Amino acid sequence: MSHAKYSVINTHVHNIDGVAKVTGRATYTFDVKLPGMLYGKILRSPHPHAKIINIDTTRAMELPGVKIVVTGKDTLGIKQGIWRRYEELCDEQVLPLEKVRYIGEPVAAVAAVTEEIAEAALDLIDVEWEVLPAVYEPLEAIKKEAPTIHEGVERNVNVTRHIEWGDVDEAFEDADYIREDWFKCSGQAHMCMETRAAVSSFTPEGKLTVWASTQSAYYTQGLLAGVLGLREGDVRVLAPYVGGGFGGKFELDAAMFCSAVMSMKLFKPVKVVFTREEDFIASKRRTPMFYYVRTGIKKDGTFCARESRMFSNGGAYTGMGATALYLSGFFHSFPYKWRGYRYDGYRVYTNTLPSTSMRGFGAPQAMFCSEQQIDWICADLGLDPFEVRRKNGHTEGYEVPGQAFIASCGLEQCINEIEKWVKSKGKLPANRGIGISSCGFMSGGIFNWFDSPYSFSSAVVTINVDGTVELHVGCQDIGQGSNTTMAIIAAETLGVKVEDIRVHSGDTAHCPADLGAWGSRQTLMAGNAVKMACEDAKKQLLEFAYAEMGINIVYDLDIKDRWVHIVARPERGLPYGELVKKALRAKDGQRIMGRGYYTPHRKGMISPAYSYMMQAVDAEVDPETGKIKIHEVMTAHDCGQPINQLGLIGQLEGAASMALGYAYLEDMPFEDGKMMNPNLVDYKVIKAPEMPEAGIIEIDTYEPEGPYGAKEAGEGLTNPTAAALGNAIYNAMGIQMKELPITPERVLKALREKKEVQK
Amino acid sequence: MINDFHYLKPASLKEALAMYAQYDDCKVICGGQSLLIVMRQGMVAPEYLLDIKHVKELSYIKFDDKDGLRIGATTTHREIEKSDVIAKKYPVLVAMEEKLASIQTRNWGTIGGNLAHADPAGDPGPVLIALKAEIKFGSSSGEKTAPLDEFFVDYFETKMEHGDLVLEVHVPTPEPKFGCAYQKFNLLDSDMGIVAAAASVTLNADGTCKDARVVLGNAGPVPLRVTKAEDLLKGKKLDDALFAEAGQIASEEAQPVADIHASEEHRRHVLGVLTKRMLKKAFDQAQKA
Repeated sequence: MSHAKYSVINTHVHNIDGVAKVTGRATYTFDVKLPGMLYGKILRSPHPHAKIINIDTTRAMELPGVKIVVTGKDTLGIKQGIWRRYEELCDEQVLPLEKVRYIGEPVAAVAAVTEEIAEAALDLIDVEWEVLPAVYEPLEAIKKEAPTIHEGVERNVNVTRHIEWGDVDEAFEDADYIREDWFKCSGQAHMCMETRAAVSSFTPEGKLTVWASTQSAYYTQGLLAGVLGLREGDVRVLAPYVGGGFGGKFELDAAMFCSAVMSMKLFKPVKVVFTREEDFIASKRRTPMFYYVRTGIKKDGTFCARESRMFSNGGAYTGMGATALYLSGFFHSFPYKWRGYRYDGYRVYTNTLPSTSMRGFGAPQAMFCSEQQIDWICADLGLDPFEVRRKNGHTEGYEVPGQAFIASCGLEQCINEIEKWVKSKGKLPANRGIGISSCGFMSGGIFNWFDSPYSFSSAVVTINVDGTVELHVGCQDIGQGSNTTMAIIAAETLGVKVEDIRVHSGDTAHCPADLGAWGSRQTLMAGNAVKMACEDAKKQLLEFAYAEMGINIVYDLDIKDRWVHIVARPERGLPYGELVKKALRAKDGQRIMGRGYYTPHRKGMISPAYSYMMQAVDAEVDPETGKIKIHEVMTAHDCGQPINQLGLIGQLEGAASMALGYAYLEDMPFEDGKMMNPNLVDYKVIKAPEMPEAGIIEIDTYEPEGPYGAKEAGEGLTNPTAAALGNAIYNAMGIQMKELPITPERVLKALREKKEVQK
Repeated sequence: MINDFHYLKPASLKEALAMYAQYDDCKVICGGQSLLIVMRQGMVAPEYLLDIKHVKELSYIKFDDKDGLRIGATTTHREIEKSDVIAKKYPVLVAMEEKLASIQTRNWGTIGGNLAHADPAGDPGPVLIALKAEIKFGSSSGEKTAPLDEFFVDYFETKMEHGDLVLEVHVPTPEPKFGCAYQKFNLLDSDMGIVAAAASVTLNADGTCKDARVVLGNAGPVPLRVTKAEDLLKGKKLDDALFAEAGQIASEEAQPVADIHASEEHRRHVLGVLTKRMLKKAFDQAQKA
């Protein structure tokens, strides 16, 4: 479909908050300082599994400067969770009353006049424990004899998910070849630049104000109100700037909860900021997964059936894990047409750090298994991996049975472009290979486990007398640039410039409710709300323009670049600023205001729209040491209509660095429940010297459900990379990497095993 | 959190040595790139910090053909990396520095501080030993000089006693047919080595090996000289088989400790590979010299 000519959309727009950030004026939660503010610290469990027999806070309270020490007994003891609609999945008391389930779990909190005193007071809290047997791996925890982590939860199975369509067994019978493999996918830390942080201020009027580092001010508001026994409207959450989220910051965290509990008792502001170590050991992480994958295929490369079982290490609590469990299974089928598909996912509690959503939401793990196995099957049968993917790939108009309808899909073009790119590289030197991987991702989730009665996204736009625009949105900018995206959509719709728009976000008192920044939902959902609000305002303006210009009613009017004009005769018109002034006067001084919202309907089970992509990774292996060098990453990408070219490049590069880190560097090893590398020396995040060139080829598609045809453009880019690297190593060395991260030692082990087989 | 301490700022070497002699619970700081980390972790909590950053007489790079290279203790890594004369005469030092942590660290960290800290995973130690360097250190009661390979005693321990400061590193002028190479194995380029190997080779006029050094990084409590491998090479006409054998010896002689980044087995294996490769590289250089 051809696109209209846009003035702002798909141009290079710098983040509208960029200057504030680089000049240090952006106020993050970490920077908030209020008069009389106290500093809070959290005492954490040294045991992976233990009963709390008694907590004696006397000595801590006696330390000069300490104002309060709280434990679970000082709270309402409500078990909370973000799956608010399902009571059994609300399983986490932020300050537990009876027992702890992982090392690092909060046990008590202190507020004092300085951070140093609060820290010193932690050593003076005496906890009497009864240490319980613990279990750390899902395949152990699911055994009958394993210790019980949550009372009444049999075999520690937290949630199960079953996805099935078609006659799977019959489809397998049609297959000429069936392959099965086991995979082990590791966890990953979200590693936000800003650690979890909150400042809470409760005043005698009964109102609580909380500055929080959150991906959804609205969720934080709702969750806090729930655990504190307040009305939602009495809790105001502010999150003007957030230093990264990546899926780890839309649940209630201990910084928010403990600061609020202590502030409510003291009527004083309390600030809690996690150290980097706390952020590693006691926030949440990407879900580690064991995958069994069985795939049946015909000799000519037609996919017949797939059957997968997945056991995930859920850690101590549910978090967003239930969603990750479903989405992993759903995207494991992507982006292909299966006659029969069956997935059974088991999320198992263990005595480790809870697992949750992280950029890709279970899909990077699913793709690591799926996309490698497809390449191995192609090699087993002598098929061309590009051709097989093209043959079985989603196409426009396809329906994933009972799950999703694909209204736009550029997968085939993505495959064609990457095939061209790979072939243009010619023959590679020894020990070097290019691997490919294709996938898709959602543009926001349809599920409403939070049980929000509000629209999924809302926006309010008002136009000032001088033509400047106040845009109020509930969507959350967490560094990904959503405020800029919304400003672009508003400017394009209203026919003004980006600098005319002031975006108000991250304040529940002044912005409409919105589910926030997760599941790649904001561009499509909040973008639609913004577009609708601006169209509403623009319509009101144009009504006055018709009256003012006295033109024949058959003419269409529009505004572009602050010029109100007849579409057919663009030279005939009047300046936008002038029109606004007149419209205001005509409305008895009321400002022009537009309202918009978005709630998905009749869009299947998962998402209103899906992005598609194929990625290639060019990598080299040192055959003697196993060390991997990444030369280049190239992605062909269908995100519908790109809104901001610069923003898209930023998303692509950020995703490549995060997903490559997941593929070969980042790991969270535990010993007896203790994370062994909770610092940035031992936890390996890609740094500038390792970051390869990461290019992008945009595939032109138009998504009818998206604002101006736009779809998801940031999270899904994390999905293909680990598999593409695995395939690159397979092509370079002939070894199959079934465990993440792909470390030098695992590479050498695989090379040795290959040699053994060849003997 | 870093403890409170008294800050001492001597203006000259003499004053620095006098102050150091005077205070018992005193640590020396210059770039702070090693010390501040352990202070932040609370592992070191001195009552006094003696800051020798401003003792300018210890910051220099001097070279003459006869005497060789002399680097003052407070010379930064970045100064070494950017020195023209070092690039020309001792390129291995520049290559080593280019991969030592980040530019920020190299701007602050000093060669004297690095050696005094005596972390067996440090980069300069193995390279300088392969280059046959000596180290000069001293206190208010006098100066001492030691071959660098004898300077390191144990993990984070050197021959220096309380009151001693590192003063200078001296690297002799390379012999005519000399080559030296260093490589560390790590996951990120700017990390400390999981293991590392430095090798140097000096050839006789007839092409046989006159002298060789093999020094392993992070393969024991100190930068580890593998004399058994060195002896294997001396006097022989060098070839790939000998380098592989030397690598095998290095792998066996090493005393690496496993952690989450690599098993002991993998460390030994990679030490063998690196030793073999660095000997070959040093040999190639020596042949061309």
